[in-house]
This record gives sequence, structure tokens and C-alpha cells, in this order.
Amino acid sequence: MSQLKRTINLGFIPLTDSAPLIVAKENGYFEKWGLDVELLKQNSWATLRDKLHAGLLDAAQMLAPMPIASALGLGTIKTSVITPLVLSLNGNAITLSESLHQEILKANQITSITLPMAAYLLQNVVNLRKQKGAPKLMFANVFPFSCHYYQLLDWLASGQINRDDVDIVVVPPVNMVSHLESGEIDGFCVGGPWNAKAVRSGIGITALTSFDIWQDSPEKVLGLLSSFQQQHPDTVLAICAALQEACQWLETVPNRFEAARLLSKVKYLDASIDVIAPSLLGSCLTHIERSPRSIPSYNQFSANRNGTINQPELVRGEWLIKQMHQAGQLNMEDIPDDFIASVFRPDIYQNMRCLLNENAGIKSKCTGT
Amino acid sequence: MTVVVHEKLKVLLIDEDHAKVQGFKDALCDTRYVIAHHSGKHASLLKTVDKLQPDLIVIDIESPSRDMLESLSTLSHFNPKPIVMFSTEQETEVITQSVQSGVSAYIVGDADPERVTPILDAAVAQFAQFNSLKTELIETKNQLDAKEVIDKAKRLLIKSKGLSEEQAFHSMRKMAMDSGQKMEDVAKTVVSLLDSFHKGARSV
Repeated sequence: MSQLKRTINLGFIPLTDSAPLIVAKENGYFEKWGLDVELLKQNSWATLRDKLHAGLLDAAQMLAPMPIASALGLGTIKTSVITPLVLSLNGNAITLSESLHQEILKANQITSITLPMAAYLLQNVVNLRKQKGAPKLMFANVFPFSCHYYQLLDWLASGQINRDDVDIVVVPPVNMVSHLESGEIDGFCVGGPWNAKAVRSGIGITALTSFDIWQDSPEKVLGLLSSFQQQHPDTVLAICAALQEACQWLETVPNRFEAARLLSKVKYLDASIDVIAPSLLGSCLTHIERSPRSIPSYNQFSANRNGTINQPELVRGEWLIKQMHQAGQLNMEDIPDDFIASVFRPDIYQNMRCLLNENAGIKSKCTGT
Repeated sequence: MTVVVHEKLKVLLIDEDHAKVQGFKDALCDTRYVIAHHSGKHASLLKTVDKLQPDLIVIDIESPSRDMLESLSTLSHFNPKPIVMFSTEQETEVITQSVQSGVSAYIVGDADPERVTPILDAAVAQFAQFNSLKTELIETKNQLDAKEVIDKAKRLLIKSKGLSEEQAFHSMRKMAMDSGQKMEDVAKTVVSLLDSFHKGARSV
């Protein structure tokens, strides 16, 4: 057994789906696995990534496409980052400003938008703006290598909205709501609690959730350097085991509300339960004058109807690569054979499951852990 | 490096801490750099970059706006700018080595004029060098692509018209001269014509 590295710096961005990290810390799961973890709140994905690459963070919550981008050297110096654990599925939503909401109603001569909103309703708005020589619609997402960006592209494409007829920019999640309010952007795709926050403030309508676009795709993953895993394999298993237990704890609705309370603390999301709890409880706030929608899978941490979700399956990674390709971020010819198996690591996940079984006194077919 | 002293360079400083901003302004007041400030919180950074067209961007590594900056080259059609990141924490210095080449130099600690100016100078110079390397690389790649398409056209002419390699080359050069086009463009036309001709012939 390799020496356990007890003190761990774990980076996260304050979002509703950082729940597994916060629960693992607050419920003492890290401690139980012999770790002294410090959760370090980060302000931007780029800096979180650079700190992980430089070894200032031992591991971090990452957007699912980020380890792939790092390993391919997209937008950064090529660095071998791996993911042994999927932390969550779904969790994002697209919210439009109140003024775009009104523009859509007028352009389509309707009195109410049916939710989830079909993107073709934007066609008339785009065309009218073109005729008048008005500025293009501007949508924001959180990072070039994010599911948010690909979901936005997919949704627009589903309504035959030409990519060149809209502007797409990046705005940090914490600034999304203020940018929507000031009219600098017309809509955004972001994770919780920012959609609920915009709706509660009466400045937008949540048109649809990412679950309405893609069902059950990995959203956040645990990322760490391949070299760190080679040096400290048992530490990595311990981190994964603690996070897996946190994900399982997050499975039930009563625990979800308790999680919302933990997340609302100043050192974590520093936001009110009012905007954190809904998505965790499967509720999508839609508009200040409308009822919420029921989206049971809004935030998934451990299981869905097909079983457990935390294994970083290679097909999921390949699927993400396809999305990156469709967004014009990579050439398929540049991807080496077996590349995804060097980033998505179900083998490490399986070793962690064995450890969990052993610990629970369950005999399994595991060998050599 | 030759520095044109008379030319003022516009620096966009992105930071939420006003004390730090003043420090930078003071440090750079007698240099070739002029500072414009952006707080990142409300006004749109993209609009500011577009309007100001800064020669250099300086940003606190802990600013949430870093992701926006990161997207400039990836999502938008903005021209890349040299970027200098600064940090007040010594330990963050190790990030310098892992940050994308051509993007960053690094300042740690307070804005000391003696230290800041050379760092900005180096970032501008390094970026210019990086950009010229990039242009060179693209040109080389284009030249290789051109050679490839000319070779392919030659092969097709040899195969379908029974020409020798020299005859094929000369006939393309004559076409280029007669029509005032580049060899590469003629070769592209030849390839697309002969390719579709062959495909058509096969499907009959």
C-alpha cells in the first residue's frame, strides 16, 4: 500500500452541483477515509485548471470536458489530467431575460411560452432584428470547454437558428444575473443556483433545463493529474470513496434539503436556500408569475433509472469529444486511438468500489487492490 | 528589443480592488503605458475590449473575469492580446510555467514601478514573437497544402491524360499564366474536375 497523503487541497467553484464535495467535507466522509481535506473556493475555471496543472490543487471539481481539453492541450498547455469519478449529471438551464421573453411573445403573436421552450420561437426574433439592423441576440455560457456551451449550441440548432445569427460569450456564473438584468446579455446557460436566482429576482424566464436538451450527461467530474494518481494511488481511492459516499447520501429528498442548508453557508455558495433548494428537490423555477416545473433529474449525484452514474464510462467521454468536435474545437484526426481511456478511468473507479465493498464487509470479485 | 518610446500602449487593467488599481496607475504614470480600468463586475468586458482595443491586458489571477478572457480566442473573433496575470500570493508563481505560451508573464506582490515596466515590456515582446511564429507556421502549412494539391493534380493528369510528369506540370503552369491564377488554384480546379469526371465515369 502506498503512503496516504493526508492533507489534500480540493478546488471547487461555488455552484449547486458542488454538493458532493461539500457534503463529503461537512459529513466527515473525508475524515473517515483518513484525509484532511481543505476545500478551496475558486473564482474561475481557468484559474482552477491552472492551479491543478501546477500542483497547487491536488484535485478539483471540473466541467466534464475540461480533463479532455487539458489532455489534448486545448486552450492550455497539454497536461495529463484524468477523471476517476463522475460527480453529477444535468443541473444546467437556459434562462432568457424578461425583455427577450416579451420580444418572443410579440414576434410570435402568442400570449404564453409553452415550457420547455422550443428554440424555433427565436426564429422570428432573430429575423426581425436582422431586418431592423438591431444587434444580434447575445447568449452567455460559463467556459469554452463546457457542456453549457454545447447545450446552448444544440438547443439553437434544434430551432434552426444559425450559429452566426447570434453572439455567444462567456460570463462568470457569479456575474450572470447582473449581466442579464443590465441587458448586456439576452440569455444564459448556467448551473444552479443562478437560474433560480434570476427567476426569483423577476428578471428572467427559465426556458428549459439541460435535462430537456440532453438526458443524463456527465456535468461535473473529479479531475486530478495523472502523475498525482501514480504517486498516490491509495489517496486517490480514498478521495473517490468519500465523494462516492457523499453522492449516495445525496440520493434521498430529505437529505437534499439538508444539503441545501450546508451549501448556503457563506464559505460555500453564500446564497439563500430559496434559490439553492428547488433544483436539488427536482423543481425548476420558471418565471415569477408561473408555477415551477417538475424535473426529478434536475441534479443527479448517484443514481438514475439505469443504475449508478458515477463511473466515468468511456462511451460518455467519446460522446463529449464528439460535442467538442461539433463545436469546432478539435479535429477527430488529432485524437489518438484509445485516447479517452487515458482520461476517463473506469478502472480506478472499479478499484474504489472494491474498497467500499471490502469496507462494508461485502465479498466481491476484486483482486489486488 | 527596440522600444519605440513615443508610442503609448493601452493597458486594460481588470481588477475589483480599487487600491490595487491606483497602485498600478502610479507605477506606470511615467512610462509608455496608459491604463484603462475595468472592474469586471457590471460592465461587459467584451464590449470594453472591443471598444478600447487595448495593446495589453492585465488581470488579477483570482478575478472571475478570467474565464471571459479565456474565451476571447476560443469563442469570439477578437484578435488575441498579450495578457499579463498578477497575483498577490507568492505560491501562485508556479502557475507561470503551466500557463499557455504567449499568454502570460507574471507579477507577484505589489506594483513596484521598477519591476512592473520590464514585465509588461517582456510580455509585449514575447507575444509579438509568439504571433510571428504562429503566422510563420500557418504560412508553412499553407505552402505544404499547396504542394500537396499540385502533386495530386499532376498525378491525375498523368493517369487520365497519359502525360509525363513534366508535361503535366507545364500544362498547369500554362493554364495558370493564361488565366492569371495561382498554380495552387489551377491545381484545385484540375483535381475537382478530374475527380468528378472519374466518379461520373464509374457510376455510368
